[in-house]
Amino acid sequence: MAFATGRTGVSTARGPRSGVALSAVFHGLVFAAAFLTFQRNFTAPEDTHIVPVDLVTIADKTDIAAQAPPAPEPEKVIDKPPPALEPPPLPEMIEVAPAPEVEMPKFDIAKEKPPPTRREMQQDFNALLNKLTTPDKPVQTAKAGPRVIPGIGTGNLMTADIADALKSQIYRCWSPPTGAPDARDLIVDFDLSLNPDGTVGRLQMTPGTTAAAAGNGYTRAASEAASRAVYQCQPYRLPADRYAQWREINPLRFDPRQMMGQ
Amino acid sequence: MEQLAGCHVGAMLIAFDIRLENGMKRILLTLAALAVLSVAPANAALQVDVTQGNAQPLPIAIPDFIGDAQTGANVAGVVRADLERSGLFRPLDQKGFVERITDINKVPTFSSWRSITAQGLVTGQVALQPDGRLRVDFRLWDIFGESQMLGLQFFTTPENWRRIAHMVSDAIYERITGEKGYFDTRIVFISESGPATKRVKRLAIMDEDGANPIFLTNGSYMVLTPRFNPTAQMIAYMSYIGTKPRVYLFDIETGKQEMLGNFPNMTFSPRFSPDGNRVAMTLESAGNSDIYVMDLRNRAIQRLTSDPGIDTAPSWSPDGKQIAFESDRGGGQQVYVMNVDGSNQRRISFGPGRNGTPVWSPRGDLIAFTKQQGSIFSIGVMRTDGSGERMLTSGYHDEGPTWAPNGRVLMFTREASNSRGSQIVSVDVTGRNERKVLTPGSASDPAWSPLIQ
Repeated sequence: MAFATGRTGVSTARGPRSGVALSAVFHGLVFAAAFLTFQRNFTAPEDTHIVPVDLVTIADKTDIAAQAPPAPEPEKVIDKPPPALEPPPLPEMIEVAPAPEVEMPKFDIAKEKPPPTRREMQQDFNALLNKLTTPDKPVQTAKAGPRVIPGIGTGNLMTADIADALKSQIYRCWSPPTGAPDARDLIVDFDLSLNPDGTVGRLQMTPGTTAAAAGNGYTRAASEAASRAVYQCQPYRLPADRYAQWREINPLRFDPRQMMGQ
Repeated sequence: MEQLAGCHVGAMLIAFDIRLENGMKRILLTLAALAVLSVAPANAALQVDVTQGNAQPLPIAIPDFIGDAQTGANVAGVVRADLERSGLFRPLDQKGFVERITDINKVPTFSSWRSITAQGLVTGQVALQPDGRLRVDFRLWDIFGESQMLGLQFFTTPENWRRIAHMVSDAIYERITGEKGYFDTRIVFISESGPATKRVKRLAIMDEDGANPIFLTNGSYMVLTPRFNPTAQMIAYMSYIGTKPRVYLFDIETGKQEMLGNFPNMTFSPRFSPDGNRVAMTLESAGNSDIYVMDLRNRAIQRLTSDPGIDTAPSWSPDGKQIAFESDRGGGQQVYVMNVDGSNQRRISFGPGRNGTPVWSPRGDLIAFTKQQGSIFSIGVMRTDGSGERMLTSGYHDEGPTWAPNGRVLMFTREASNSRGSQIVSVDVTGRNERKVLTPGSASDPAWSPLIQ
């Protein structure tokens, strides 16, 4: 993020002004100084945004896809002698062997989507550039404050229609955790990247949801149900010319409170 | 977060440019800073709140287990039926399957299962071991996530395959819903036969899916309100042996029956404490009914209520610290809660009509009850403080709820208006998925066992 900000700053500086070279030099200095002086400020937000990724499970996963079987199981077989039961046939009894669970956090991995092609990346970048260059006069609008570029940003008027469009496509597939205790509190958040064709590029739980799901089976079930919904209802039909606005959705929140009225 | 980053940059640049002497430069840089600020949200992601859903069962593919063909088909069939009955799963028709499972230790071709809209896949195999036991393995696959969610292995005697199938269902149910299953459980109930004028009521027991029904008593005396103890090995119930109704204990293993305490008057409405060591029940004396607790270890009796009204239908909270009961001390029957020592008795039901037969959920979050409004009896739930009352059913005469051990499903008795006898019906705690429970003939007074151990 910090990197992207730097990049966009530079491209702004390349704007249609005189003394381009001088300006560029100064801006370069400014950014260099900024990076040196405020490195922590740059890195901190980035840190908080990194989802801890369990390399081991990714490796497992990749292996599984590539080769075949998760090794067969039994580690320990709990053998209980059959309590002989008379009148009603209470069963002869059972030994259950928990087999090794090949258990992996599921949504960490980009699925069915190769890394973005050079062309896609180019598109992304162009989209970004377009956004940067369209408001040709940031000078006046800048007074209005940070959110001046139309159509960009979180939840403003220009993106509300996209959020609604996405919602209306996802909700059909979402089976909320209605029967769970305290179901209304089972709110789960995702970071979703969409491909230009509306398919899911990457879907992962936010760190908060990851932590909550690790400690609570209901939250885990809720997050898995929500993630199934995201996959099931793809591809999403959204305006292609505004891909930059819906390329990343974060948080994509599933909130059952309204459905649990009483 | 992006915005935050942008702010840092902006603030920084402004701070920096103040030190510059050149006013022109300052303006330029300030503008640049603002530009950076304004651009920062370009990276900000769209936020979307999905607040509406569409409750629907999970499409799941459960091919017949491989190995011994007959047993494999039997086990998978029971698992499909269990999951389907829960209302939370929709087992897909095997005819549509594209991939044929031949080795459950191979990762399935997920795309072929996606193509038939499966979101879950269960592969399994059954194999007779050299020692004569049956081995059942299964794996649950996440089709979108392309990963194994669960893999378990069971051993049993071959004739016990049904229970294994239920345990497989429980494991799948728990992995998908986050909630313990309830398929490997049993139901005791009162089986009714004969003409309405001469009903024979026998204590009976069956698996949760209606299989293996057995009569425990022969019908020579009437039996009512059976309740399991926490190990599902013992049943307490009220019976008219002789002239007075009394509470009896019945040992399922031995078939032995014993009267619980020797009281001069009638005793009824027994319920085991969660640890199984005590039984709460109602004792009648001189026309006044009150709730007592008997310790099964030393048969000591403790009286919990003593008001002149009828106090009955005690039900323990799962932590054993409180008891919900029904009392008409304020006029019509309502639900009350007290501490297990009888202190702090308080009314919790204030909804319309009369409310009785409270049953505390094993999950602890809700109390199920029967509401009588006019001539209609229906089943509802409320929170344990009486708030959030919700009616789950409305029949001519629905009565006597009992919870599945996971607190997610209820069974109750439904009597039709045509007096054709009663039947047992189950319903999800959400009020959805109401189903008739298979019983041999008319049945009433169901009690759901804990998970069998």
